[in-house]
Amino acid sequence: MTEPAIAVESLGKLFPPARSGWRAFLQPFEKSTVVALAGLSLEVRVGESLALLGANGAGKSTLLRILATLLVPTAGHARVAGHDTVHHSRDVRRCLGYHAGTDHGFYPRLTARQNLLFFGRLNLLSNAAASQRISALAEQFEIRNALHRQVRTLSSGTVQRLSLARALLHQPSVLLLDEPTRSLDAIAAAEFRRFLKSEILRPGHTSLLFASHTLPEVEFLADRVAVLDAGRLLACDTPSALKRSTGAASLEDVFLHLTGRGAGSSERSIAE
Amino acid sequence: MIRILRELWLFFWRDLTIARTYRTVFVLEAIEALFGAAVFYYVARFVDTPQLQHALPQGGSYFAFSLVGFVFLDYLNAALDTFDRSLEEARDSGTLEHLLVTQTSLPVFLAGSTIYPFAATTLRIVVYVAWGAALFGFPLHAANWFAVIIVLLATLLAFSGLGILSASYLLLFKRGNPAKWFFLGVSSVVGGMLFPVNILPDWLQVVAHFNPVTYALDAMRSALLGGANVAGLWRPLAVLLLSALAVLPGSMAVFAWALRRTKITGTLTHR
Repeated sequence: MTEPAIAVESLGKLFPPARSGWRAFLQPFEKSTVVALAGLSLEVRVGESLALLGANGAGKSTLLRILATLLVPTAGHARVAGHDTVHHSRDVRRCLGYHAGTDHGFYPRLTARQNLLFFGRLNLLSNAAASQRISALAEQFEIRNALHRQVRTLSSGTVQRLSLARALLHQPSVLLLDEPTRSLDAIAAAEFRRFLKSEILRPGHTSLLFASHTLPEVEFLADRVAVLDAGRLLACDTPSALKRSTGAASLEDVFLHLTGRGAGSSERSIAE
Repeated sequence: MIRILRELWLFFWRDLTIARTYRTVFVLEAIEALFGAAVFYYVARFVDTPQLQHALPQGGSYFAFSLVGFVFLDYLNAALDTFDRSLEEARDSGTLEHLLVTQTSLPVFLAGSTIYPFAATTLRIVVYVAWGAALFGFPLHAANWFAVIIVLLATLLAFSGLGILSASYLLLFKRGNPAKWFFLGVSSVVGGMLFPVNILPDWLQVVAHFNPVTYALDAMRSALLGGANVAGLWRPLAVLLLSALAVLPGSMAVFAWALRRTKITGTLTHR
């Protein structure tokens, strides 16, 4: 049987409670009691695209950060391309492209090309291979004219594309995207989705796990959707199967139905 | 090993490329060094007496003594400050997270991020000494440059452990550098930077003998002003290397623990 691209088994994550004042000084040593993930299990198959759908604080980013080896889970296991994220983190990172929609993390005084070259070479690309990939991705993301400019002079949308290009530089087999089109305008976001689907996902070698609040994006890109709430997996299936099983007309209704946040459920809880 | 060296070079290339975008900084620092050297020269002219020169361990002028003490302070400051500053900059700019998902490791990132600052500090020291020699008679004729380089490297090794401890503190507590504050504070009094330790009260001289800075400065002055060779400096070099052996492994273990702790608490990239 083929090893899944991502395998998450009974994954739990607790954080210490946030503190202010002098107690913040003790926070690094505080007991972790705040639940971010509660026994989450799921798989992403090779070549599959799985969307994480959930309200803020549902645990989507925490899951992505554990898979990116930026966090250590409290319980359970997570494997990327067969490698454990805690014990073989370097092997995990070799297979991984990671993009966080909130924090692009470039050197503003370096040009876009210099930034990409730096990160590409840290991902073990040779100078020639990195340059070749940069040129190819610059074409695909339409940032060719931005390559020679310092990042501090670029628009937020261009920086976003640059960040996505960085995640794809070393041709990872697994892509983790946290709100990938967050700062893009509607046209750029649509182009990016098309590019992701046709160039990255269609050949079938790359698996994608992404978190998004944009439901049309989820429907367009995802083979399956995992609905999370308070660190728990409520459902994981194809969009059509989710609609069928919940009797909902749209993915939004599926989400509201499963999380109990729909108008009906609010009325019910008020009545109760 | 080759991969690590390549990564170290990449970090140096990054910092050098960024530094080159601030074109006027080097010129301004060179001018600042000129004023700094002038201040030490005129203070020395004001206070220098034959008795004072006699009290200095390597003899010579107070100008040479104090300028070496000052530039050494710059170097020590770099050793104590660079690790946590690199980490802080990466965290605040948002690049830390993206560096940590590449094939590099945080220790290599930290080591790589210190190369340029140390190189820049060395260059600044060279400019200081060059101004001192060209305009104010700083004696370079006796310097043993090979010994000077060995002393600088031993100093780096000896004090980098404290810098790594500072970086560990920053990982956990997000602000502050108590190792630098404490060590520079103590060393500026009992390290022999601007006055010889033999003028201190007896009990402070005892403290000075337990401070590696005293040995590093003594070795630096002996090599730069007295022309001492490496063999003649074996005692202070041994103290510096023993200090490195005592502090570096422990500081690396503390750093590894702090890094794991922040990955558990989820505060790795918190500001």
